[in-house]
Amino acid sequence: MANPSSPNGKKVSARVAVVAAGVVSPLGFGLGETLESLRKARDCVSPVTRFSVAQCRCRTAGQIPDDRLLASQGEGIRGHRLHRASHMMIQALREVVTQESQFKPELTVIGTTSGGMSYGEHYYRSLRQAEKLRHAPTWIANYPAQKPVIDAQQAFGISAPCQVIANACASGTNAIGHAFECVRSGRYQRVLAGGYDAISEMVFVGFDSLQASTPEKCRPFDRHRTGMVLGEGAAILALENLESAQQRGAPVLAEIVGYGISTDNFHITQPDPTGVGARQAMERALQSAHVLANEVDYINAHGTATVFNDAAEGKAISELFNGVPVSSTKSMMGHSLGAAGAVEAVFCLLALQHQFLPSNINFSASDDDLDLNIVANETRPAVLRTVLSNSFGFGGTNASILMGKFQA
Amino acid sequence: MSLAIAGMGWVTPLGRGVDSVWEQLLHGDEASATAISEEFGHRPYSVFRVPESALTGLAHPRLRRASVISRFAAAAGLDALRAAGVKLDPQNAERTALIFAISNGGVIYTKRFYRDVVDAGAQSASPLLFPETVFNAPASHLAAILGVTGATYTLVGDGAVGLAAIKMAEDLMANEPLDHCLVVGTEEVDWLSCDAYRRWRLLRLTPPIEPFNEQQRGMILSEGAGAIVLARDGPFTIECAHPGGYFAKRAEAGEILKRILRDLSRSEVDLVIASANGTFVDQAEYRALKAVVSNAFVYTAKPALGESVGAAGLWQVILAAQALRSAELPPVLHADPAIALQLSLSRKPLVEARRAIVLSCGVNQQAAGLRLAIR
Repeated sequence: MANPSSPNGKKVSARVAVVAAGVVSPLGFGLGETLESLRKARDCVSPVTRFSVAQCRCRTAGQIPDDRLLASQGEGIRGHRLHRASHMMIQALREVVTQESQFKPELTVIGTTSGGMSYGEHYYRSLRQAEKLRHAPTWIANYPAQKPVIDAQQAFGISAPCQVIANACASGTNAIGHAFECVRSGRYQRVLAGGYDAISEMVFVGFDSLQASTPEKCRPFDRHRTGMVLGEGAAILALENLESAQQRGAPVLAEIVGYGISTDNFHITQPDPTGVGARQAMERALQSAHVLANEVDYINAHGTATVFNDAAEGKAISELFNGVPVSSTKSMMGHSLGAAGAVEAVFCLLALQHQFLPSNINFSASDDDLDLNIVANETRPAVLRTVLSNSFGFGGTNASILMGKFQA
Repeated sequence: MSLAIAGMGWVTPLGRGVDSVWEQLLHGDEASATAISEEFGHRPYSVFRVPESALTGLAHPRLRRASVISRFAAAAGLDALRAAGVKLDPQNAERTALIFAISNGGVIYTKRFYRDVVDAGAQSASPLLFPETVFNAPASHLAAILGVTGATYTLVGDGAVGLAAIKMAEDLMANEPLDHCLVVGTEEVDWLSCDAYRRWRLLRLTPPIEPFNEQQRGMILSEGAGAIVLARDGPFTIECAHPGGYFAKRAEAGEILKRILRDLSRSEVDLVIASANGTFVDQAEYRALKAVVSNAFVYTAKPALGESVGAAGLWQVILAAQALRSAELPPVLHADPAIALQLSLSRKPLVEARRAIVLSCGVNQQAAGLRLAIR
């Protein structure tokens, strides 16, 4: 595939359409349920039931109910052996394929942080406690991070090569951003992009050990915020060269218009308190899109509700933007780590399509140090043309994408 | 778009340094196996470990508590940049991308962290260990050491992930105004990974790895890192980074390898650096090589260096570059002379060799390839 070129030989950037999307999260199965939960500003965080949290400070998370998730048992493959993460990816891809059965990707880029981690836990615990290891081959085979991506593609006869990005909590946004750049450059016409993560004991306990998670409600950007809660989910976007999509009559749900990535190197678990990493990612996304800060109508913040993240991100937002509405939808479903950027991209897509601002629930008091226009506690109707979604992760990795309402 | 390799760094069980390791391979040396055990394990496993001397002189505050996987990566990455003559400063750090290829990741600290949870409960979990369990911890440490402020990615996959990372680098350098992309593959070995591969019938308990043997007796795990600096210009050109794909069943691996080889052999190739490691991979590669490039010389270093999974693809690229540069191939160790491939059991001169294919078939369903040429 050659880069599209103008008559003078300079590279011309292609427009990148989102032609289908699929999602499963604590907010619901599919775009319809997700939209309803967003509009009603539902609190979908509940007590953890998958493993013991008796010794943890935090005891809640956003969780996907197994009775619905596992009901389909995969698609033509041995579903009962698959990890929950594979079922999530199958669920999300099913929705994409249902919308766009003719979408044949040349590449699939998916973000995750922990693959089939709970199977790794079963294996180690059984070894350590000298329990039966009859299922060990199944656990081991379904543990690798690429397995849920391959399972989902296999379920729907998709054979695209997979790139699995593990950039901690920025993974999902990195995956969409990289896929966007691949299509925009003209090197690819169609790419699947997204993210997944299933809750696991090890990761839950890890955040608890860092005292990053809270025993209270998740209150992003609130003066009384005390930390994050974990979540889980999967989301996939089908990205296509706009011209190609229009030629074959595919619906255009929205456009991805910009992507920014930065690395701040401050600390392996904490952001640079000056907000420089977050700011660089957002600035680079704006530059990439040739969009001015005052043209952004809404920011779906990373907003984990930890003291340090929200302070650094809030500082960067208030320095770059002037009163733009901001919310963290993690308040409703928790932080789904590698899935977060992809799930939140779907939230942005729905916000653009239905012209509303998703809310930042559990918000009671503004932080005097943060000059932010928080969409507090309930959704608001709004005219949205361009929205920004942030994801920041361990290791100082920061990513932002800009999405636009499609205008022919 | 073609990219060039401007510098390479190599940390292996045969030591550190591209020329030093290459010389040993040419002489037919192989790494010494050591046995590793676990307090609750039923049996020890043989592995090829990186000697401690390989990391001498590597010091940075970010590496003080870091696992060996991060140290291997830092050593290889710094060596590759030095070989390329690239010195990063605040001006060019933004125009340098860092891509890591990893498979099992920081398994030693992950095991230690979770062991505390299993043995003594969540209250015993270490907040110091947890960040090192994250897949992108090694990339984060190297980014901090180098001062990289632009794109940093960690890709996770099986033995083919190294070549997937190079493909991603090619895409990145086409998309962004980058001068360099440092691609690092890294892995550390632990009893737990050995036990997992053994339960999956992919590991043998003691060396040797017998490449392309029909018996498929299994692989021996190893550790280390490989790094290459990709630039617009350099002594080796990556003519084609094939996107590869996945296979649903082991029996289907050969078909995707054939497709990759057919695509890459449209230009005449002189040699193939294969990923044969004593598992099902070998017969899949054997059939594909026989069918598509039966005249090309074939080499695999895994009998000498072991299966380093996430680092393996980068090691293969370094091997291809060194073979083209020195115009010879090391002997393939422990191979049956009756195998009907162009395998050389002794040091083999290569006359006017210009192009090499690197073929990588992972044990977890992924496959990839690339074609390299010397200028």
